[in-house]
Amino acid sequence: MHGLKDKCVLITGGAGGIGEATARRFLEEGSRVTVLDRDEAACRRLEGRLPGLTAVVRADVSDPPAVARAFESLDRELGRLDVLVNNAGISVRSPFLSITPEQWRSVQATNLEGVFLVAQQAARRMLAGRGGVILNMGSTNGLLGYHYYADYNASKAGVIELTRSLALELAPTIRVNAVCPGFILTPMQEAEYTAEMQRAFSDKIPLRRLGRPEDVAALFAFLASDESAFITGQCFVIDGGEIAGGLASQA
Amino acid sequence: MGDLDRKRALITGGASGIGAAAARLFAAEGAALALLDLDAERGRSVAEDICRGGGRADFIACDVTRAADAAAAVARAVEDLGGLDIVLHSAGIIVRRSVVDLEEADWDRVLDVNVKSVYLISKFTIPLLRAQGGGSIITIASGWGLVGGPQAAAYCASKGAVVLLTKAMAIDCGPDRIRVNCLCPGDTDTPMLRGEARQLGVPEESFLAASSRRPLGRVGTPQEIAQAALFLAGDASSFVTGATLLVDGGGLAGG
Repeated sequence: MHGLKDKCVLITGGAGGIGEATARRFLEEGSRVTVLDRDEAACRRLEGRLPGLTAVVRADVSDPPAVARAFESLDRELGRLDVLVNNAGISVRSPFLSITPEQWRSVQATNLEGVFLVAQQAARRMLAGRGGVILNMGSTNGLLGYHYYADYNASKAGVIELTRSLALELAPTIRVNAVCPGFILTPMQEAEYTAEMQRAFSDKIPLRRLGRPEDVAALFAFLASDESAFITGQCFVIDGGEIAGGLASQA
Repeated sequence: MGDLDRKRALITGGASGIGAAAARLFAAEGAALALLDLDAERGRSVAEDICRGGGRADFIACDVTRAADAAAAVARAVEDLGGLDIVLHSAGIIVRRSVVDLEEADWDRVLDVNVKSVYLISKFTIPLLRAQGGGSIITIASGWGLVGGPQAAAYCASKGAVVLLTKAMAIDCGPDRIRVNCLCPGDTDTPMLRGEARQLGVPEESFLAASSRRPLGRVGTPQEIAQAALFLAGDASSFVTGATLLVDGGGLAGG
């Protein structure tokens, strides 16, 4: 990818899974990478694994004062921001009738309000500086219905619409895009699902495999690079073809 | 070290516009190319230019709307290149007329070049990709394959067809490790776009100015569309298939 060398990149939820793979990818591209994550223990482990990071900031994206403080420290350490990857997100498998108001609020707070809070802080700095790129983590769950994740699905649909609206308002200085992964096998899911379950999921995907965090990281790198200079307001599906068809494709 | 080192690519419509830009970029990234086009003079010139620059490109004159022509061109391309990894369908035309004003010959020509060629070239290349263990196919539709546009009935119909033909092929080909994705450019500064101004009888400059009214405030360049094709062609997109990538400066993000 071109144009990522020496870029200042902030990745939320970057201490594991897709966020960590994305941090690693941007480091390989020569970027200066800062990770923001609320998980203190995961942050410490990440610092051991990725010593090349510019900074690891502990903050919860759903906490407005904490986000504001995190950006003040970023201003001191980085001085500018070129790329934001809004990756932090949570999901809890629950049938609709079991979702408590607390769980609903917590999912929206991290997945949707967190994107809003961090994007607003980042956009102020990018507009004042040389522009930039904001990338949001959507999901194929934000495009179609899925069982047992109603709160998560609603939050991701919100992220997708937020992405399009920001693309309009922040153009032409800032490009804003979302990626919509299908089934990505993170270390957490690798531990959760048996090999047999993983095979059953794979069989429903035209490419006959689950995604890897590195697959999504490569897409983030492309959408942050100069190669995608004419792409904004887009939601890019990366799912091995899972939603290219309806149920018929899963026969 | 290029993103497409040791890859072999066939590009339809490689003589001009997005196809020619993709040819130059793919060659610069290390791919060996077969360029197919009806326009032999321009096609040869693009191929020669690439070869002079140290790249590898053969030109094959071909009417991609005819099965016999397409089959022969694919056979020659594979012989020249020693195999095939990437197929980019960039042959395309537009006729700026409404349904009432379209002649039957216009309709047939637009659907043949824009849709039938994708069917034919895919039909002849997929078995080769499958035998080799996989590959990447990229179709080119348009923002007007996703929404309608004025006085472009056949074009919109053809590009909508390309969007879904892509998804159907992605489902069929996925198990063979062949990825099939659709690139949807917005208005891009190509001979085709400038030709639309002529068809509509408006000055090129005012047509381009109107086309620039989108969030990024400009039309795309063929190189920018080629970059997106490169991403879909290479291993960086190895989990992406059946996807539609809109490269339009935000044109369809909202009102």
